[in-house]
Amino acid sequence: MKKFIVITLLIAGASSCTVVKEYEKVYLNDPQMMLGKTKKSDRFETNFQAYREAAAGANGGKTGGGCGCN
Amino acid sequence: MKQITFIIVSLFGFAGFAQQATDSVATYKKRVLETTEVDFLASYYTQDGNNAAVSGGIGTEKLTDVTPTIVVSIPLNDDDVLTIDGGVSAYTSASSSNINPFDGNQPADPFVESTGASSSDMWTNLTGTFTHNSDDRNKIWSAKLSVSSEYDYFSLGFGGSYTRLFNEKNTEISVNANVYLDTWNSIYPYELRPFSENGSGLNSNLFNAHTITGNTNYTPIFNEFSDESRNSYSLGLSFSQILSKRAQGSLLVDVVQQQGLLSTPFQRVYFADVEDSFIENFQLADANELLPDTRFKLALGGRLNYYLNETFVFRTYYRFYNDDWGITSHTAKIEIPTKISSKFTIIPSYRFYSQSAADYFAPYEQHLSTDQFYTSDYDLSKFTANQYGLGVTYTDIFTGFHLWKLALKSIDLNYHYYERNTGLNANIISGGFNFIVF
Repeated sequence: MKKFIVITLLIAGASSCTVVKEYEKVYLNDPQMMLGKTKKSDRFETNFQAYREAAAGANGGKTGGGCGCN
Repeated sequence: MKQITFIIVSLFGFAGFAQQATDSVATYKKRVLETTEVDFLASYYTQDGNNAAVSGGIGTEKLTDVTPTIVVSIPLNDDDVLTIDGGVSAYTSASSSNINPFDGNQPADPFVESTGASSSDMWTNLTGTFTHNSDDRNKIWSAKLSVSSEYDYFSLGFGGSYTRLFNEKNTEISVNANVYLDTWNSIYPYELRPFSENGSGLNSNLFNAHTITGNTNYTPIFNEFSDESRNSYSLGLSFSQILSKRAQGSLLVDVVQQQGLLSTPFQRVYFADVEDSFIENFQLADANELLPDTRFKLALGGRLNYYLNETFVFRTYYRFYNDDWGITSHTAKIEIPTKISSKFTIIPSYRFYSQSAADYFAPYEQHLSTDQFYTSDYDLSKFTANQYGLGVTYTDIFTGFHLWKLALKSIDLNYHYYERNTGLNANIISGGFNFIVF
């Protein structure tokens, strides 16, 4: 938990330090660099994990509701 | 003085006219979505294990599921997109067949699936999402409506999100909220049904047609739920930041409050302090699962992606989860997309998951009849899981292959193997075809 807070503060601080211009985002615009799901079929993996595990959320998938699952 | 005043007023007038002239010049705005896109998706899932919740923590967990889905994204204008998402999930399950283990052609047994009607079901879903982007593409809001249904469960969901980009699109903050108003159509273990308020108990047809062995004075606790509603409310926040020309990361928080019928009505529980009763090889339930009617969940996640070179990208993910049922979990995942050509990318992945047990969980025959809440669902037990995956993606930016009015943009195929240290293992093959309409 403490590590998470430290990382949060570091990234929040970084927001004021780094500005990458649009023409410098060649690598960042690569489809595989996308934060989160890179393809729609990733939903199936996230869904079966939500069914078989107690944890949900913070991954763009089900957080609870919509199914008779945990 | 009058001349100076006249000149100054004239200059403001010209300035105003110039500003108006600037506003009237049309500026180019790239469409959010150039043309309609259609995705055909499908998955095939199988699992097996020996801790079926429907038979109190023992018995086969064999299950097969096929899920075809179609997603259509339609640009309404330069700024707005409407997405329609529809799918079905058809499954056959040895464990759900044992909701009524006495309707098959062979002796009832938790390790053998019944061939009766309860062995299969179908879940259907339809979701519509409307997304609006501001002219500068720095503000995005969306609204969503979803409906899903299966034999024993109906869900109505709605939600929305707002995303703000700033710092020359280096920083992104997003908030989303969802509400699900769900309803069970409770199905109970077959041998418990005669013990409802107006039931005939041991004089029912089941007990007249079959002989009880072991404890013949069978008197279970039947938790019959009068309120079958189940509502979920979630709020999510995310913060994304470009860290360098090759790295970007994000932090995510989801909080969820659920209330209503959170037990699964057809899952059995056996008590250590109650003598066992059997019909054939199947142990009759001492009770059906009973869990609290509220649950609060908190999930904190983080992602970090790094572009190493033209061949390798590193994608990492971590999540911490905690809820008020006593469950704490950790998830860690790494993917390494590897470009092997301009069109093909292979994606090996590894995921580790661990969770503690819910306060109300106990294995087969370890609950007491005096417990306030009880479950033997191993999805709520303490376990660790490893998942190994391999995916391949084919992308053709020139969409050379055409099918009627559809041009193929990409194909992806994925395989994952999942195993828990409780003995459950699963395989999933999934994939999709992405077309653009021309």
